[in-house]
Amino acid sequence: MIEVQHLTKRYGPVTAVDDVSFKVDDGEILGFLGPNGAGKTTTMRVITGYMPATEGQAIVAGHDVFTEPLEAKRRIGYLPETPPLYPDMTVREYLTFVARLKIGKITSADCAMRVDHTMKKTRVDDMADRQCSKLSKGYRQRVGLAQALIHDPDVLILDEPTAGLDPKQIIETRDLIKSLAGNHTIVLSTHILPEVAQTCTRVIIINRGRVVAVDTTENLLKGTASLYVQIEGPEDAAAALGSVPGVRHVAQTDRHDHWIGFEVEAEGDHDVRRAVAQTVVGKGWGLLELRPKRVSLEQIFLQLTTAEPAHQAVDTPAEPPREEAAHG
Amino acid sequence: MGNTFRNISTIARKELRSYFTSPIAWVLMGFFALIFGWFYVNYLDYFVRMSMSGDMGGGMQAMNVNDRMIRPLLSNASVIVLFLLPMITMRTYSEEKRSGTIELLLTSPVTDVEIICGKFLGTFGLYIALLGTTVLYLAILFFYGNPEWKPLLAGYLGLALMGGTFVSIGLFISSTTKSQIVSGFATFAVLLLLWVINWMAESSGPTASAILSYLSITQHFDDFARGIIDTKHVVFYLSFISFGLFLTLKSVDTERWRG
Repeated sequence: MIEVQHLTKRYGPVTAVDDVSFKVDDGEILGFLGPNGAGKTTTMRVITGYMPATEGQAIVAGHDVFTEPLEAKRRIGYLPETPPLYPDMTVREYLTFVARLKIGKITSADCAMRVDHTMKKTRVDDMADRQCSKLSKGYRQRVGLAQALIHDPDVLILDEPTAGLDPKQIIETRDLIKSLAGNHTIVLSTHILPEVAQTCTRVIIINRGRVVAVDTTENLLKGTASLYVQIEGPEDAAAALGSVPGVRHVAQTDRHDHWIGFEVEAEGDHDVRRAVAQTVVGKGWGLLELRPKRVSLEQIFLQLTTAEPAHQAVDTPAEPPREEAAHG
Repeated sequence: MGNTFRNISTIARKELRSYFTSPIAWVLMGFFALIFGWFYVNYLDYFVRMSMSGDMGGGMQAMNVNDRMIRPLLSNASVIVLFLLPMITMRTYSEEKRSGTIELLLTSPVTDVEIICGKFLGTFGLYIALLGTTVLYLAILFFYGNPEWKPLLAGYLGLALMGGTFVSIGLFISSTTKSQIVSGFATFAVLLLLWVINWMAESSGPTASAILSYLSITQHFDDFARGIIDTKHVVFYLSFISFGLFLTLKSVDTERWRG
């Protein structure tokens, strides 16, 4: 559905996106993950036809965004980082305007129906006649989503759709996005890791304009299962834990007056919880805590985005490419 | 083709509506009517006194209301327009860029030309509404006197064309900046310069003098105010408008590449 090939975008001497290629299949939710200023927004802006690429191309639903912009744009719904609302319009007026703009040939009755339907779907119908300038952040974001959905596009590009929402709204928005997959192909960017794990089927990690990893969320998380074990016992407990069958590596992570915490890494898919617990109890130590470590995506992310090849640092000695500069 | 007109009209209507749902349109119309009314009353008073003294002196030709009143009145209106239009055009692009709504327009299936034409027509529509407030004043003249309507119509055509030129310049300048203040002030400065550019004409050489007077936007208006529709002036204004819109197109395109 979306095909990005060797996309490069330079702002003067600054390279914001450097030779990025990826594909998104029909009905997929692709997470676009990266620290602030990694080039997420720039990539999305190229895909949506907001700005042309310096090199490479983006093809959406079979149409090159640069050579057939109108055909491509008809099939894209885009929610920019700040929802593009007109403050002096009501929600209904605004969505009607967007519907006419996106669809072109549409009767008034059809347009009104579409607006109503979209408002219900994104749950903004209770604010239909409120001016956009008077909406709360959560509603603005949802009206922005409604705006992207109004012409029922094949592709949805969402730039940080949950930024600035409260926890309840974040969950609602994620559920909404998940319910949209299947009918729409979705690319969403974020720098919040659990969001990717929860919503996306596949993840692209981008850093300093380069793709550092592309994989399914499951695969990225696989092989990194580790346990956190907290015991009351001697310092050399690490050796005993290390000798448990199936355990690959043990490291002390923290200690307190009367307890020590270890991180226990298992080999492959081995479930070593039972064996570890037995060992601890068998030795007569106190087992205070035993739980799987869940934040592993964060570690992958940090690993991938901080371990920069040395030669690259020499290429760009000054500031790394920042999206802020791009906004200029 | 049908698509193009539909898109242009969608954007033009959105522009017009945004002027009229905010206080901008009403405030500008109110003040325009007020200032125009002030000039109107002054010229009317002067005209009435002059014609009465003419009557009493006897033998003098009856004064022509078109020449003595409407013509200077319209010339003055052109100056008021010069002050007011930057306030209309300053937000056209700057506001969209500042608030980010430009991202919506540029990622919608409409062409840059359609967006620019739509914005031009919407803004021009508000300008026509401004001019509309003056019709009432002139209707009073028709009620109590017998001015000729043809020269008056020519005058309005001139005002409309000149305003269109101002709008296209304002649109271009607005497309270059995020700041409404910068946009408004720069537009005002450029319009003012184009207004007074022929003042230097007398003291410069023959070629420079011709160029400078030709560039003066208000110079071309004089004939319209006198009731003459000269193709030369119509072409001048129309080509100036096209040039302004062309520059806007280039500016939007450049911004796109620079991001």
